[in-house]
Amino acid sequence: MDSFLAFVENGALSTFIRETPSVFVYPAIITLHTLGMGFLAGGSIAIDLRILGLAPRMALAPMAKFFPVLWLALAVNAVSGILLLIAYPTKALTNPLFYAKLVLIAVAVVVLRRIRTRIFDDPQVDQTPLEREDRMLALVSIASWLAAIAAGRLLAYTYRWELLGIPAIM
Amino acid sequence: MEPWEVFVRSTDLHFFVIRHPWLWPLCETLHYIGLSLLIGTVGLFDLRALGLAKGIAPGAIHRLIPWGIAGFIGNVLTGIVFFFGYPEQYAYNNAFYFKAAFMGVAGLNILAFYGTSAFREVKMLPPHADVPLRIKIIAATSLSMWIGVLICGRLLTFYRPPFFH
Repeated sequence: MDSFLAFVENGALSTFIRETPSVFVYPAIITLHTLGMGFLAGGSIAIDLRILGLAPRMALAPMAKFFPVLWLALAVNAVSGILLLIAYPTKALTNPLFYAKLVLIAVAVVVLRRIRTRIFDDPQVDQTPLEREDRMLALVSIASWLAAIAAGRLLAYTYRWELLGIPAIM
Repeated sequence: MEPWEVFVRSTDLHFFVIRHPWLWPLCETLHYIGLSLLIGTVGLFDLRALGLAKGIAPGAIHRLIPWGIAGFIGNVLTGIVFFFGYPEQYAYNNAFYFKAAFMGVAGLNILAFYGTSAFREVKMLPPHADVPLRIKIIAATSLSMWIGVLICGRLLTFYRPPFFH
């Protein structure tokens, strides 16, 4: 494990992201990660709220057009997340909460895809009432996004190692 | 220390923030949830006004906006906690000035939407209707200002005054 962490951490890309003082490197990556979170988690929660019966006059079918925005945000966050992980592999991978965050995001994305196919692939979606399972999916979606956001934010307070051999100062 | 800093640092709220280390991460988490609600509801409404998902009647998707407002109110409250905890971090920070400026423009833009006939016009539009150009400009301004607020907020920590590090 340590030799793998050392391999990544001493690599050129990791060092570049961590040590370049420009606002267009590390700060830009972490900002894109937050922006993507806003659109992905926020957009997903907005769709969930509609499924749960808020804004009932809003037709569901055309909301499918919002999904490409969410998938784009997911792609931005996958790329920016991997870059942040490359910059600080030890910090993330030695923190159990990081794995919890990944699981929560996986659950949220699987549920979002399930909502996409189950509800929005149905051409009769606005003619038939939503079922109990639809509302359950929306609730699980909201809960997993909120938990993923909390886990992500708390990573900054729970890591034990900043870099290999350098403990967190907290 | 300026007089206002002495005042802020003498308040009960200031002492509460610095004496309870769990409060900061909690408020940050709420702040991120609040911004997600704001971007997720107001952002989707703006995108509809700009022509995405036109099958939705603008007045119908507007019913989600109160959730964005709730997120914003949560962020004002948590923001006050941050400011009273460590006021210098914000008061001497260019990113914070830009964040405040973007929020000011977003606020004027809200007045331009709800304080004129724009909102009443949009509320009446049926599904598939094109939103008038004037209101598309308001939507584009809203979307870009809130994104600007988010970017400056995230960059705050990188522009803290040197004595803070």
